[in-house]
Amino acid sequence: MSAPARTAWHRARITAGRVLSRPAAAISVTYLAITIFVSLTAQWILPIDPLYQELSATLEPPGAQFWFGADELGRDIFARVIYGARTSLLTAAGAVVIAASIGVPMGLVAGYFGGWRDAVLMRIVDVLLALPGILFAMALIAVLGRSQAAALVAVGITGIPSFARITRAQVLSLRQRDFVLAVEALGGSASYNMFRTVLPNAWSPILVQVVILSSVAILLEAALAFLGVGIPPPTPSWGEMLRTGKSYLYEAPTYAVLPGLALTLTILSLDTLGRVLANVLEDRREIAEDEPAAAPVQVKP
Amino acid sequence: MGGYYNERALSAAQNEDRRLSVTHVMNRRTLLAGTAALGLGATLAPDAMAQAAAPALKGGKPLRVALLADFVNYDPHQFSSQNAIVMRNLYDTLIEYDDAGKPVPALAQSFQIAPDNMSVTIVLRQGVTFHSGAALTSADLDATLKKANDPKTGKNVFPTMAPVKDWMVVDDKTVRLNFKQKVPDKQVTDLLQFMFVIAKDTVDSAETKVNGTGPFTVAERVLGQRLRLAANPKYWRAKQPILSEVVFTVFSDNESAAAALESKAVDMIFGGGARQAVRLRTAGFQLHQGQGQLVQVLRINTTRAPFDNEKFRQAFNYLIDRAAILRVGYAGLGEVTALPWAPANPAADRSYDKTYAFDIAKGQALLKQSGLTAAQMSDWKLLVNGGDQDSVAISQVVQNALKRAGIDIQLELKQGSEYVDALLGGKFNATFGGVGNVQKFPTRVTTNSIYRVVNNPVLGNPNPHKAYVEAIERVNSAFGTADIKAAYGALNKALVDSSFGIATNTYDVFITVAAKNVGGFTKDIDSLLVLRTVGFTS
Repeated sequence: MSAPARTAWHRARITAGRVLSRPAAAISVTYLAITIFVSLTAQWILPIDPLYQELSATLEPPGAQFWFGADELGRDIFARVIYGARTSLLTAAGAVVIAASIGVPMGLVAGYFGGWRDAVLMRIVDVLLALPGILFAMALIAVLGRSQAAALVAVGITGIPSFARITRAQVLSLRQRDFVLAVEALGGSASYNMFRTVLPNAWSPILVQVVILSSVAILLEAALAFLGVGIPPPTPSWGEMLRTGKSYLYEAPTYAVLPGLALTLTILSLDTLGRVLANVLEDRREIAEDEPAAAPVQVKP
Repeated sequence: MGGYYNERALSAAQNEDRRLSVTHVMNRRTLLAGTAALGLGATLAPDAMAQAAAPALKGGKPLRVALLADFVNYDPHQFSSQNAIVMRNLYDTLIEYDDAGKPVPALAQSFQIAPDNMSVTIVLRQGVTFHSGAALTSADLDATLKKANDPKTGKNVFPTMAPVKDWMVVDDKTVRLNFKQKVPDKQVTDLLQFMFVIAKDTVDSAETKVNGTGPFTVAERVLGQRLRLAANPKYWRAKQPILSEVVFTVFSDNESAAAALESKAVDMIFGGGARQAVRLRTAGFQLHQGQGQLVQVLRINTTRAPFDNEKFRQAFNYLIDRAAILRVGYAGLGEVTALPWAPANPAADRSYDKTYAFDIAKGQALLKQSGLTAAQMSDWKLLVNGGDQDSVAISQVVQNALKRAGIDIQLELKQGSEYVDALLGGKFNATFGGVGNVQKFPTRVTTNSIYRVVNNPVLGNPNPHKAYVEAIERVNSAFGTADIKAAYGALNKALVDSSFGIATNTYDVFITVAAKNVGGFTKDIDSLLVLRTVGFTS
């Protein structure tokens, strides 16, 4: 492992340690880790099928056969909550990847070059920001059709502006710093300077934004499903379960309450983690404010 | 055939076979004598439906009714779930059907079907006035028939006018309708039962202005919120309506309407969901179903692959778990049926339900005979009305059953106008959709798009299912018990063989759930809300 890599790994460990030292964050991370693990490995570790219909057991209350009860088609609500987590998490992950992979370069270019590039890119961001996220997502799904891919793309696009603006703001604050100017003076190309010099020093708020957008994406996906334009059935989804389950609150309260609880806990955990992460990174930034920033050792023109 | 119908004759004949009962009172002398007697009869004797009103009922306070949707207009010819609540309360029809399905005179004091079944003569009731105070005359019925006979203004009543060639105003109270061909009695009475009479001066503005002969008048209308009806003091039926006032309030969903009923904020819910209704029945409320059930039908576009394969389609008769659909989608309120008939339909044949019971093995045998590959059999999507939770649920039941049979399909959810456009435009492979007019004369089923014999928006023109078209024509021209029975049998066989519509179950769109102290409910053949006999028991 090279020295910079060792340093980065060391810093990540320190950051993780500081985050986990806070009880709220530790609980959140534990919950998220369990949720992710169980939802991704459910088909191997749990003998449950979220699609199997036991039509003679519709709206069964919680019991030995159905831990969380059965839905209106006699499907296991526990299984659907577990597999619904997979839907939510995959949508969130995909949306964050789309948002970050488009938003971060947009912010980098806008902040680094300024001028007409900045004006054009930020106007695009302004347009995206002007559109209410949920309406934009619904319109996009109306065009693309209802599917997990469509929901993922729709949620992802609504996240682009936040990444672009945060990255641009960071780049603007770093653009005139000595280590950036030094690389430029030594003949470093713009792309080299952007991606190897500026970006590594701007990743902290982006990382926080990844966590925050994950919770927003999960909530938005659930909202779309609740409004009836999310992932089509029978694929389990927390939002879809809430939508259907609210009609059965008398007969089967667990139908809506448990996916709602899972949704709430997941969003709460992500928000808590994001908030703690932001505080830890901010503390670290203030401590390291006077220290030399991570700069490239060698510069290739 | 043909016959003369008046109040007394029909009342006496209620325990006999309908066709026999009308035959023995259908000569012209009887008509004249009966017509003379009926002027008195209408005044003194309550009609069969009025008898449903118990004398102990009171109407001193307003009846508060919860609705699940606001209605669109007051036009009684735009027969739809959106304005059905007001039709029988603001207007009257020429005749009605009683609980046993027998015709009961209403605005028509009497009517006579000609012996050759080529015309019907209607004598209007004396002493009936519109809300405006004008007396009911033949001119009003003439104006109403003109409206009904125009596809632009007749709306949903227009198809019912199909057998009518023309009509003639005989005198101030008599109108004769001439038919294009011999028309069976039941088809004639269906026409008269469906004809809400509008005053001639408001026939062109019926959507916004109410001038009917009905038991109530409009007192207040707040769009999207409520409708208040006041009793019509000049109503022609003695001692009706019982209630002095009715207030309809629009609720956004079943749950809030149910909560309002349970908290006594309303006295009844009309048009709520089946599952909520069953829950409320269990909680001690009254549940009333009408006779005008719809039949849920898996509509199949036979012009598209793989449904252009007859064996493949026929397999669906066995691959649909009708009992599960009824239980999941409609809380068991209804009956499974393999044919598109409500129980009141004369062509209903329960033996089909047993023959085509859910049987995956039999379905798979037909799938094998179709010669299609597994990929071909799964290469389609089931269109679903995403805005209707029941449709989403039953579609998943079908999806699951088909998967067990080796057909792995996806659901294609569309909502609102997008779904309606696809449904009525035939832009689907298969989709569930309720069919109406299936409690009356069998050929009325052709008013539903998938069952149209001409200009079918899904199957095209000419209709590709010749056996079905011929069977419909045969039913329309069948006379005599044996002939009619054979025609109904041929139609049922053609429906199952052609399999462009797989009936699954009957269900109600107009379920009434009421508090214990509300009584006097009158069943209607179309399940419309009849409030003139309703009152409070305490």
